Amino acid sequence: MAGIYVHIPFCKSKCTYCDFASFPKEIGKTESYFACLYRETEGRGKALKNKVFDTIYFGGGTPSIVPAKFIAGEIRQIKKFFNLAKNPEITIELNPGTVDSEKIKAYKSVGINRFSIGLQTGYDDQLKELNRIHTAKDFLTTCNLLKGENISADILIGLKNQTAEQVKKTIDLALAGGVKHISMYALTPEVGTPIYTDYLNGELLSDDEVADIYDAARSYLAEKGIYRYEVSNFAAHGFESRHNYNYWQRGEYIGLGVSASSFIDGRRFTNTFNLNEYMNAVIYNKTPEISNEEISGDDAEFEFIMLSLRTEKGMDVEKFNKEFSADFKTKYAAAVKKNEKYTEFIGNYFRIKDEYLYVQNSIVTDFLR
Amino acid sequence: MSIDKSKIRNFCIIAHIDHGKSTLADRLMEKTGQVSERDMEDQLLDSMDLERERGITIKLTPVRMFYKAKDGNEYIYNLIDTPGHVDFTYEVSRSLKACEGAILIVDASQGVQAQTLANAYLAIDNDLEIMPVINKIDLPSANPDEAAAEIEDILGVDASDAPRISAKSGLNVEEVLESVITKIPPPKGDDSAPLKALIFDSYYDNFKGVICFVRIVDGTVKVGTRIKTFMSDKQFDVTEVGIFSPKMTPKDSLSAGEVGYIAASIKSIEDTAVGDTITEAQNPAKEPLPGYKKALPMVFSGVFPLDGSKFNDLKDALLKLKLNDAALSIEPDNSAALGFGFRCGFLGLLHMDVIQERIEREFDLEIITTAPSVSYKVYKTDGAVLTVENPTHLPPTTEIDYMEEPIIFAAIFTPPEYVGPIMELCQKKRGVYKDMVYLDKTRVQLKYELPLNEIIYDFFDSLKSRTKGYASFDYEPKGYAKSDLVKLDMLLNGEICDALSIIVHKDKAYERGRQIAERLKEVIPRQMFEIPVQAAVGGKVIARETVKAFRKDVLAKCYGGDVTRKKKLLEKQKEGKKKMRSIGTVEIPSEAFIEILKTDNDN
Repeated sequence: MAGIYVHIPFCKSKCTYCDFASFPKEIGKTESYFACLYRETEGRGKALKNKVFDTIYFGGGTPSIVPAKFIAGEIRQIKKFFNLAKNPEITIELNPGTVDSEKIKAYKSVGINRFSIGLQTGYDDQLKELNRIHTAKDFLTTCNLLKGENISADILIGLKNQTAEQVKKTIDLALAGGVKHISMYALTPEVGTPIYTDYLNGELLSDDEVADIYDAARSYLAEKGIYRYEVSNFAAHGFESRHNYNYWQRGEYIGLGVSASSFIDGRRFTNTFNLNEYMNAVIYNKTPEISNEEISGDDAEFEFIMLSLRTEKGMDVEKFNKEFSADFKTKYAAAVKKNEKYTEFIGNYFRIKDEYLYVQNSIVTDFLR
Repeated sequence: MSIDKSKIRNFCIIAHIDHGKSTLADRLMEKTGQVSERDMEDQLLDSMDLERERGITIKLTPVRMFYKAKDGNEYIYNLIDTPGHVDFTYEVSRSLKACEGAILIVDASQGVQAQTLANAYLAIDNDLEIMPVINKIDLPSANPDEAAAEIEDILGVDASDAPRISAKSGLNVEEVLESVITKIPPPKGDDSAPLKALIFDSYYDNFKGVICFVRIVDGTVKVGTRIKTFMSDKQFDVTEVGIFSPKMTPKDSLSAGEVGYIAASIKSIEDTAVGDTITEAQNPAKEPLPGYKKALPMVFSGVFPLDGSKFNDLKDALLKLKLNDAALSIEPDNSAALGFGFRCGFLGLLHMDVIQERIEREFDLEIITTAPSVSYKVYKTDGAVLTVENPTHLPPTTEIDYMEEPIIFAAIFTPPEYVGPIMELCQKKRGVYKDMVYLDKTRVQLKYELPLNEIIYDFFDSLKSRTKGYASFDYEPKGYAKSDLVKLDMLLNGEICDALSIIVHKDKAYERGRQIAERLKEVIPRQMFEIPVQAAVGGKVIARETVKAFRKDVLAKCYGGDVTRKKKLLEKQKEGKKKMRSIGTVEIPSEAFIEILKTDNDN
């Protein structure tokens, strides 16, 4: 099975940590952007007729900021040109304050069945500092509109002066809203974002402090029946994100829209990050891709290892051996041996032990060849 | 055809650092038309990048100039450059041997400095005529009269008619050229006597073999002459002789009094040791010229390739450097922590630094240098005596009767107000006070005996920082003295890392152990597990620090668009790891081995 990712590059205002392709000032181009998106969807869909897709994910930006008809139109377009499995998981990212009951109704009517809310933190002063447009109250209002639905919330750890207690309270807020899935990301200061300046000035929390908060939040979530299934993702049993899990299995996916990345038939390709360039390319029937490379041999194997070791379950060794016609235990004997203290084989799976999942880089790099 | 010896002048320029030696050399070449102003890259004689960057001269470079004097005659001036750092005293003595006189530069605002004195005395010891020149007279703070008085008072050299110049602007440089004729004697020597040529430097050329820089004392040498040296029985046919102008320029012959080079397809530098005398194979001179002072390495350090598979490349690089550097000693070494490498002997820390940088730059090799050591004498209980330059080779304590360490005799020059801090420093470094002389009201010379192992780390830096840069010092070896020494081992994660062991005085062991442990804690990055860093003497732990295990080493997000970027990040992380050496299970950055030196910060 494969996934479809659709990028919506619009938002109301840029958050201080955001380095995604999102353009608050370009919202006037919504209509023409979707015209291009539909066109790209048609072309990509026709070329991928032989593949079955079982998840769709609308990410951004803030996909919920555009009128629901555009999203509905894109789903129609996907259904028309792609080979969709039965009961696909269709997720949309949304931000509190950008949806009302009408919009939710429209989403549900076109088959959207998973809603990922950008909560970030339950503290209004912190939200303001991050340049978010909503308050903790807005979050609950949105959750109310989504009562009974499969809701996920994003939360951030490592904010200026943040405490573990605050993160627990944020988790409480999410759970009160009926959330069954939480993505908990450590704030990553990317070059060019305002938060990077804070990082340079040493105002963000240290790695040790972030790790303390992470550990505290992880056990708190487990107490509440929300379990880690990937480094930054936690869910009640059965509520894991199928779309994202596919990435960590090194499954195939097609990315539609500006800046979207794809992995199809062993090739990774990425569309331009420039909105006008993207639209221009689609209009003139040129490729919007700015890179396209085949991943093979040891590189492909490493991707498989790197991605699957992010998950709690770990890497399916048999699947690895089959996919690469290799014997993992023999070929990577040295790296496995070197990390025997931090990893384990459970049944058919090779995994990083619980307590080392958050310090996995140096384990994983030993598998680079 | 032989050259009129009365028209030859062989001289060098000696000076304290920064008093303008290289600038004056450039100006002399320019004024004699050797190089046009346009062609001049700043300070031509300092030909290595390293020399130019550091403003120091390491290799000797002779230059022949033609000077049309006011008396109507044309003179040949051979200028032999000298290095200006205390580590290279030996190289200075070599170049002095090839000269009859020395131009002594004194900065008009700074007067006679430590290095001025040291070099001037070396020149006087070598029977050279001293011709003082007062430089930088265009500086606002210049006081040429006082500088001249100092030269007369301190050195006892007549400075009444010393040229007063600005090498930088070229002011009065003509006077220097004129004075050379009268102040510096022409060479003596007999063209028809059996050949005697002093090798004062050599360098290896890939095509011509060893190029010997020579001063012809007696006789004549030309292409085809069959030569031999006194130290080796091998004979060679001369393939080329020539002069430096300043590039090597072939000539038909070189005769008594001249300075130039000889090439004879010599494949090994060992056959033409610097300081040796070249003579004719068929008609040899009866005895060699008095030999040079042999350069003795004072500081020893392990040099290992960062990438163990580059051992042979490192060997080639060291051998090539040795061709040009008689003072460098090399022998194979083997460390449990660092694998195969070499134990190298250097004149001092600067020399060590220079060699290290040349290996990295000229041979593109990444290396690990271990903490420097000196050469200890170990008297064993069974009566045997060992020389130990590598702490790893120290026998077990039970087999040691007693040990001796090298002592140096240090002369420190300083303005009087810093005498206190310097005495305190020397005390700290186990120095024994010998003497204090007021050279004049602004300058004091302090004499101390100090253990060499106390000064090889950072004595010079400490001295400079305690005296705001005013003090300078010189040292010479003064034999060995019995000392209570111990081997200080560093343990990483419970295992001794041999490359980090040092030999220290017993009273210093605790302090150094603590400092090194602290320093290692800073330079060793956090890893998957907690790493105890311990210092131990004779199996007893005397200090401990801990490198905590890291808690967060993960990429927060990894979705569809992140895969390629994350992989690149991890590749970079892996590259970083490659710059580390695994000591047991612990990974250490290569610079850690030398970083531990920087613990001696006493300020």
